[in-house]
Amino acid sequence: MIEVSNLSKVFPDGTKALSDVNVSVPDGDFIAVIGLSGAGKSTFLRCLNRLVEPSAGSITVGSRDVARLRGRQLQHYRRTVGFIFQQFNLVQRLSVLDNVLSGRLGYHPTWRGLLALYTEVDRELAMSAIREVGLSGKEDARVDQLSGGQQQRVAIARAMAQEPQLILADEPMASLDPRLSDVILGILRNYNETKGVTVLVNIHVLDLAKRYAKRVLAFNKGKLVFDGPVSSLDDDLETRIYAGSLEAL
Amino acid sequence: MWGALAVGALVAVLAGFARASMRRLVVAAGAALVAVYIAFPFSTTVGFVSRDTIRPTLLGLTPLQPLLAVVFIAAMTAMVVALRSPRAGGLTAVAAAGASLAAILAWRAQPPVLVHLLPLGGLMEVLTALVLGAAIAAAGWGSRRLRWPLLGLGLVAGILTGVLLLSPTGHRLFPNAVGYYRLVTKTSSAEQETIVEAYNANLDVTNSQRQRIGLRPLPPIESTAGLATERLPEEAAATGYRMLRPAEGGYGVGVAFLLCGLLLGSGVMLAAKPRLTSTNDLVTGLVYATALVVLTPAFASTRFSLGKIVEGWPFLLNFLDRAWPPLLTDPNYGQFGLFPLQEVASQMLITLEIALVGTFLGALFAVPLSFLAARNLTADNPLMRVAFVITRGFFNLDRGVDTLILALIFVAAVGLGPLAGVLAMAIHSIADLGKLYSESIENVDRGPIEALESVGAAGSNVVRWAILPQVSPLFLGWTLYRFEINFRVSIVLGLVGAGGIGFFIQDKMASGKYDQMIIAIIAIVIVVNIIDFVSSWLRGKLV
Repeated sequence: MIEVSNLSKVFPDGTKALSDVNVSVPDGDFIAVIGLSGAGKSTFLRCLNRLVEPSAGSITVGSRDVARLRGRQLQHYRRTVGFIFQQFNLVQRLSVLDNVLSGRLGYHPTWRGLLALYTEVDRELAMSAIREVGLSGKEDARVDQLSGGQQQRVAIARAMAQEPQLILADEPMASLDPRLSDVILGILRNYNETKGVTVLVNIHVLDLAKRYAKRVLAFNKGKLVFDGPVSSLDDDLETRIYAGSLEAL
Repeated sequence: MWGALAVGALVAVLAGFARASMRRLVVAAGAALVAVYIAFPFSTTVGFVSRDTIRPTLLGLTPLQPLLAVVFIAAMTAMVVALRSPRAGGLTAVAAAGASLAAILAWRAQPPVLVHLLPLGGLMEVLTALVLGAAIAAAGWGSRRLRWPLLGLGLVAGILTGVLLLSPTGHRLFPNAVGYYRLVTKTSSAEQETIVEAYNANLDVTNSQRQRIGLRPLPPIESTAGLATERLPEEAAATGYRMLRPAEGGYGVGVAFLLCGLLLGSGVMLAAKPRLTSTNDLVTGLVYATALVVLTPAFASTRFSLGKIVEGWPFLLNFLDRAWPPLLTDPNYGQFGLFPLQEVASQMLITLEIALVGTFLGALFAVPLSFLAARNLTADNPLMRVAFVITRGFFNLDRGVDTLILALIFVAAVGLGPLAGVLAMAIHSIADLGKLYSESIENVDRGPIEALESVGAAGSNVVRWAILPQVSPLFLGWTLYRFEINFRVSIVLGLVGAGGIGFFIQDKMASGKYDQMIIAIIAIVIVVNIIDFVSSWLRGKLV
């Protein structure tokens, strides 16, 4: 259960990215976050794992407010949240296995990480995550030798290796061939259904959101303008969500 | 002189046929001529000893010969008119060149004359302070944020400099600045007579001195005209009198003729083809002028001369003659024999090893320090910020001290030999590599860093798994590159006694054994090329 209340973010240059967002996410939900670029979707997701510092408000996960965590406690929270980036954010010169294993770094003392002393359990988790995203046999390949779609699957495997309670995916298909969207979203939905892990995905293609998500959060200019099941999205609502899109062009 | 004029005109005409902007050349020549008028030595004044010799500029001579102001006025006019109207500017430039030449030639045709130099106390000091202050203020003028702070800083720096230079301490530190600028004034006939008398009265002493060193005795003189090629009496020189010789110029004369030639050539071309202009002629012209104004005094003060090479040619041939054929080995020499090739091989190995150890030690210390010197890794907390400033400061300080200078110090500290070289090289390499490494760190892709932060990895693990894999090939590349440089440095290190092939060269050069030294030179050429080739091949493989 994630309880977001009165979440706001103002960037140092004065941009109001989020204003007064209130959302409650039950465990095991699959949520699509939609809206124009610049509407605050990305900031919202990044606030949830504190890659962006919220300016005000609280984010309660379980029973504690993660918006106030610092240092070691923040690391312990983050290791339970898998984050998937639009640009994959893999270390290109390392192997697939090394990249996926780095998802386990939060679970060990620093010195073990420095010396790459992963446990057998870590290795098995990593191997099964790689299997799950369909990259068996590529463990030792260097990431820069993989295609974009394969790289994003490595990034998903890294998130899975964290054994997360929550997966946040920030436009995971935006830099890929559109035909790969179903592969990526399929993996995420499958993971959500088999492990019961909550998934929040930023999507700007409405059609995809409708096909995969159970619930939709829509942002416009930093405000949450819609929160409800996919089925209740109608044309009228869509125009409101995408209001101003022509000016943006 | 006339050669310089011809060269200038030729350059301008050729550039004009190549459709270069002639207006730009007019501006450049005009601006440079103004600088020559103000700052370049143009004639010679002679006193008693060579130290008394002062070379005044055209500006300094203008009070004596007001006609010389023509050079300044003509150059300025040509510039301004050319910028307004190309055709009129071209004609003006031709006229300006002619007028300037006439004024200069008229001046140089004058006989030597006795002048009195009046030191303008404080002028040099105040000008220096003004220029410094203005330079600092100008540096910040373009930026809105820095404009006022730098103006304040320039003001403070200017005032402090002025006060320091004008104080007794300043006069002790920079004795040459005291009364550096002097006013050239005419002398009355009474003054001239006094000096003629003083000269004649002292002639006995002078002639007895001259006789002792085998020079012919000098006759007494009747007027100051007789001093045209002689020294002034000591007392007269000490009180500011000098013989001014208009025809004996400094390098300013040659430059002035060159510029007149340019002005003439470009003026003719511009008047004939007024379309030979371009945008930004003023700025580019001023840049050309600045280059010329900076370069010519530099050539003059380094006494650059192609003639010297011609003069020295036979010595060069003699050297090569004695160096060839190389003396590779002579087992029957003396008691123990002589094996130069063997020695070169051994010393070359030592040189190589100095470079290897020096670079390795440098890299060893530079790697950890470079992380402290990377802006992006130290931005978050104040303690790291302090470490950043200290490390960067150390790097900048260390980079300023060359390996060779460090080696001189270490030779004094740990004695002659390769150790001094290794220490010097390692210490200099730390800073050089550290700076290159830290710049690589600052340019890493931020994505993986963000990703590892988001999995809850500790800071040092982010460095280990997100940054190190990205920068390690770059580090290796920089290290190889530094090794190439260090190898060439270690060749020279021997010259200051820090071991290796350089010492062999110095030893053989000093004892005139050129046929042994040549082996070392050939060996260096070969090894340097091999190392550069291998290193760049390896660096190519890294990417």
